[in-house]
Amino acid sequence: MDAPAPPWRFEAIGTVWEIGSGRPLSAEDRDAVAAIIDGFDRTWSRFRPDSVVSRLAASPGSVPPPGDATPMLDLYAELAEATGGAVNPLVGESLARRGYDAALSLRDRGPVAAPADWRSALAWSPDGLVLSEPATIDVGAIGKGRLVDLVHAALRSRGHTALVVDASGDLAVSGPAVRVGLEHPYDPTLAIGVVELRDRALCASAVNRRAWGDGLHHVLDARTGEPVRTIAATWAIASSAMLADAAATALFFDGGPAFAHAQGVEWVRMTTSGTVEWSPGSPAELFG
Amino acid sequence: MNISPSVRHGSALAGIAGVLLLVGCAGSPTANEAEGTAGAGAGSTPSASPGPSASSGSSNGSGTYKDGTYTADGSYRTPETVEKITVTVTLAGGVVDKVQVTGDPQARETERYQGQFIGGISELVVGKPLDQISVSKVAGSSLTSQGFTQAIEKIRTEAAS
Repeated sequence: MDAPAPPWRFEAIGTVWEIGSGRPLSAEDRDAVAAIIDGFDRTWSRFRPDSVVSRLAASPGSVPPPGDATPMLDLYAELAEATGGAVNPLVGESLARRGYDAALSLRDRGPVAAPADWRSALAWSPDGLVLSEPATIDVGAIGKGRLVDLVHAALRSRGHTALVVDASGDLAVSGPAVRVGLEHPYDPTLAIGVVELRDRALCASAVNRRAWGDGLHHVLDARTGEPVRTIAATWAIASSAMLADAAATALFFDGGPAFAHAQGVEWVRMTTSGTVEWSPGSPAELFG
Repeated sequence: MNISPSVRHGSALAGIAGVLLLVGCAGSPTANEAEGTAGAGAGSTPSASPGPSASSGSSNGSGTYKDGTYTADGSYRTPETVEKITVTVTLAGGVVDKVQVTGDPQARETERYQGQFIGGISELVVGKPLDQISVSKVAGSSLTSQGFTQAIEKIRTEAAS
């Protein structure tokens, strides 16, 4: 194969992106990617006051259904069911209270559970996205994976067949296989293993970087508003980045392995005591 | 009464016990209390209501339950699933005439527990330096934005001052 062009690196939605293709990305390609990311951010980011979810949080009601609402919220319903409510798309206020708020205050105001009956507070259909009580939608468990899929699909349709879309932790690969190191959650200079991806997506989630305060980080149990303590890092491999992202989140909780099994997702996870577990069909090579 | 044919799984039995209790215990004659009893045993949101075949007002004379058919939904948490069962109790002449338990499709999964879904566990996994393995990508926690880094720096500065 041809020597790959240098990847396009940029920062968006609070993280670093790298897009590599077998052929150079044109200005039109980049504009298309930027428009997709901007549209997603304007809808789903709770870190910007003009987003759809921020406006709904300020004033509950009905809005025209965003394009990604149904696939994402349908998957959230499955995630919530599989994890006994630990994953919940109305966890935004719980995160904000721990300091992960729009201003990134990182000031802890204590745990608060997300609305347990979120299915009655939030409804989605072709007619609209309806929030019927004050709450903050946060699609952090799968949103980045969804966006990676959107960007990946757009570039594929623009003729990029040998493609890696990497949104730092979530990546989708098509064309030649890519070897990916699984970063040690306690030492970013180490990998605990390696996995070869071919026409697959991989999502990694770990509690070491988005961490602040007294043991606080961005993976909360929505039932309590407390950060998870037993799992330090998860990696999930699936047919789409959204599904991989969902499984990577579910694997922080009881029910994660069963969810992955039901969805055909392979995975590796490390507990906070350093033990590593993996799925029956895991393709990862682990260093032990 | 004969309930054993309905109870095929030991795991389901725990959930049923709470529901049956409400039938046997005297002095809690309302469906609402039945609801509370099932809920206490289940930890979820069961509901109980007289079924459509509940008789209208024929008391058995002892002041406990009216004859009729009562249905209660219960759920309880296992390590991997939430098990849901529906118990239907028919009272005739003040005694339990029939108990029917339905809805244990997840119980078989529960028996297999999560071991089924985990391929292996190792405490011996160690890291290798990234520069010693041939990879083109690394996947871990998301790199944070400059904004997050600045926010962390800000609270560190404030904490130190």
